[in-house]
Amino acid sequence: MLEVRNLCKSFGGLQVTRDISFALEPGERRVILGPNGAGKTTLFNLLVGTLTPSSGDILLDGRSVRGLSVAARARAGLSRSYQKNNLFEALSIRENLLLAAAAGHGKADTILRDSFRDGAVRETVAQVAEQVALTSMLDLPVRSASYGARRQLEVGLALATRPQILLMDEPTSGVGPTMIEGFHRLLHSLPRELTVLIIEHDMDLAFDVADRITVLNFGEVVFEGTPEETHGNKVVRDIYLGDWQADA
Amino acid sequence: MFRQTLPRTLVLLVTLAGLALYAILGGFFARELVVSIAILAILAVSLDVVAGFGGMVSLAHGAMMGLAAYTYAILSVKLGWPLLPSAILGVGASAVFGTLIGWITGRTTGIFFIMATLAFGQMAYTVFFKWRWLGGDDGMGGIKRFDLGWAGIDLDDSLIFALFALALLAMVYAAAAWVLRSAFGRTLSGIHSNEDRMRALGVNTVLHRARALGFSALLAGVAGILAAQHVLYISPELLVWTVSGEVLIVVILGGLGTLIGPLVGAVIFVLLKDAISDYTDHWHIVIGLLLIATVLAGGRGIYGQIEHWLSRRISSPPEPEEAGDA
Amino acid sequence: MDSGFWILQFLNAVQFSMLLFLLSIGLTVIFGLLHFVNLAHGALYMLGAYIGISVAAASSSFWVALIVAPLIVALIGAALYITLIDRLRDAGPMNQVLVTFGLIFVFLDLVRIGWGDVALGLSAPEALSGTSRILGVQYPSYRLFVIILGLAVMAGLWITLSRTRIGAMIRASVENGDMAAALGINVGRLFFIVFCVGCVLAGLAGVVAAPVASATTGMGISILIPTLIVVVIGGLGSLQGAIAGSLIVGFIETFGAVLVPGFAAIVTYVLLAAVLVARPQGLLPARGGEQ
Repeated sequence: MLEVRNLCKSFGGLQVTRDISFALEPGERRVILGPNGAGKTTLFNLLVGTLTPSSGDILLDGRSVRGLSVAARARAGLSRSYQKNNLFEALSIRENLLLAAAAGHGKADTILRDSFRDGAVRETVAQVAEQVALTSMLDLPVRSASYGARRQLEVGLALATRPQILLMDEPTSGVGPTMIEGFHRLLHSLPRELTVLIIEHDMDLAFDVADRITVLNFGEVVFEGTPEETHGNKVVRDIYLGDWQADA
Repeated sequence: MFRQTLPRTLVLLVTLAGLALYAILGGFFARELVVSIAILAILAVSLDVVAGFGGMVSLAHGAMMGLAAYTYAILSVKLGWPLLPSAILGVGASAVFGTLIGWITGRTTGIFFIMATLAFGQMAYTVFFKWRWLGGDDGMGGIKRFDLGWAGIDLDDSLIFALFALALLAMVYAAAAWVLRSAFGRTLSGIHSNEDRMRALGVNTVLHRARALGFSALLAGVAGILAAQHVLYISPELLVWTVSGEVLIVVILGGLGTLIGPLVGAVIFVLLKDAISDYTDHWHIVIGLLLIATVLAGGRGIYGQIEHWLSRRISSPPEPEEAGDA
Repeated sequence: MDSGFWILQFLNAVQFSMLLFLLSIGLTVIFGLLHFVNLAHGALYMLGAYIGISVAAASSSFWVALIVAPLIVALIGAALYITLIDRLRDAGPMNQVLVTFGLIFVFLDLVRIGWGDVALGLSAPEALSGTSRILGVQYPSYRLFVIILGLAVMAGLWITLSRTRIGAMIRASVENGDMAAALGINVGRLFFIVFCVGCVLAGLAGVVAAPVASATTGMGISILIPTLIVVVIGGLGSLQGAIAGSLIVGFIETFGAVLVPGFAAIVTYVLLAAVLVARPQGLLPARGGEQ
């Protein structure tokens, strides 16, 4: 579904991404783990398209997307959520989702019809609102919504385009313990047709949700395996010395 | 997000009816004023589409109007082409100009956009000012109004022409409202609210903004045809930056992002200018101070402020349509 | 066209570049610090010219006007800053732009009221009214003076920005205003100083330009647009950008008028369009854009 081949990125003399390669199967849940400074964010931005690689390739469904803009990749089925909420602040939650759904249905351009009244678009909004537990808050202006609701909307926007693959940048960032449970449930409830890649440094989420884990350090892949394998690996333990719970 | 609310519709109908009545009952000079109002109102509405809903504050709308007027004049007067096709091509030329500017500035932010539109508008002015074949700064005369004799309408009659101008204004407003309520308009408001996110959702924002500016320029072009047919003469003065500046002031004064506010603003502006011109020649100080005062008072403009007060007094759930936020 | 002609054009291009530099450096650093474009900058230039003419008439000395007029313009600028612009700092850059745009209109008519509609001239001072020999040609001494003055200001600003503490504070605040404030730099006062210096330079440019181009009510806008183009091409917030942009636009305008007289009017705009498409942040912006 998503394949990364020998991806490298340098900023001037500083090489931040070193020869990273991995591949995701359709429907897989992959978590990218790594300490701060490991290059997770840079990798994320390379996948999403806000940075261009120095060398290497990125393939979506077998097609290279390396030369595609952020918007073009999104149209190709790649959706992303932001670590810091990036919403349409001036609008209501419903309008936020409508915009995303309309874009996903390819109905964002026409002057002939109102996308907000389109049946298919509204249907998608209802479904996504259900998924992210926002159904009762749809008419709330985003400005008035709680942080938790905004965080859910953040994921909702990414889902509303009905993507093939969802990239999430530290989705539990800033979310309190009561909400984290909700997030675990949300991630488990995502349809299996959707491939999910999550950048995280929260180990609990990684072990709970991931099918496979890729561990980065200093810009390169140091380990890749199932959660159990990762848990038992010495290199990974060394990197995270002190952060581990004995009963994880 | 744009909403054609009932109050807005009422204000639109009342204003148009009032202007029509004024034209019918008033004399020649009243009709002249009505046409001037219609031209300025069309420009203001067209600018609000991109400035109020797309965040693209343009200082080139006067130039767009002038470009359409000149194209119409070149084709119909210099080349002798039939009037309606010439007018359509004139409006089209303005649309192309707008789309190009929108595309060129697509990757820049608001302040760069203003500067670029000021520059390109001035460029258009300079081109027409220096082009001797078009009369240079003496301008060009011999322009004709549409021949609607087959429908029994004589546009050379001042009353008929004034009503014709109001009809065009109504059509321009309707077109603007339609597009703003369409998927295209929704996306434009989305880009205004958060362009980065729109890109991440798969929208080609540069193209979208270029198209929006092209549509806005198309509407401004209608004002250009009207202006040319009004005085049957055009000059580069149509493209001077102060004209674009006045359109922007009218939009801010009337109410950025309300669509009807700029229309009302144009009425007030023209009537005010006419009243003040009896006392002084120095109209620019007045409008400069009006703009500054409007911004200092919160920037909502007359109609925007009224809507704001009304929505607070009614104190029902807050309207989710703060489209014009800077 | 002999080589003498080209040397003359070269000198004219440099002279025009100097004028553009005096204006654009103020505009670009003001943007870099305060994050708004002072559209009234051209109006301040116009005021400098008109006030310079009046001071020169009152004192019968060009040199007195050269010193006093820019200071008066700075006072006007300071008054504007305190009453209007500072108040709108929190209202966002768009509101500041709109207000300065309104000021253009106000100043336009104020100048018409104060000095009338007719173009006014200012004679170059006696000492500079002849020609000098430079690079093998006879060149008007006054224009040479403009070049030297421009270069002197350029050098002065360069030294100030790169060698002095206040220069370091300015550069720091342009790059990261929040961080600079956190380090204890009084950013508000810095803004005010920079704004006033920008006004002084605009006024100076006006006085200096008057003997060459005469003072008209349209001069504000007619110089504002090339100045904006300089700032966009050169990149916002940096001295190097202002220098590079001024030279590029100055040379293209001057040689364009000579080489392609029919298209001279649009050559600069084509360049502007090219920069906006290919490198919208400009050639040498203060904050180098990533990617």
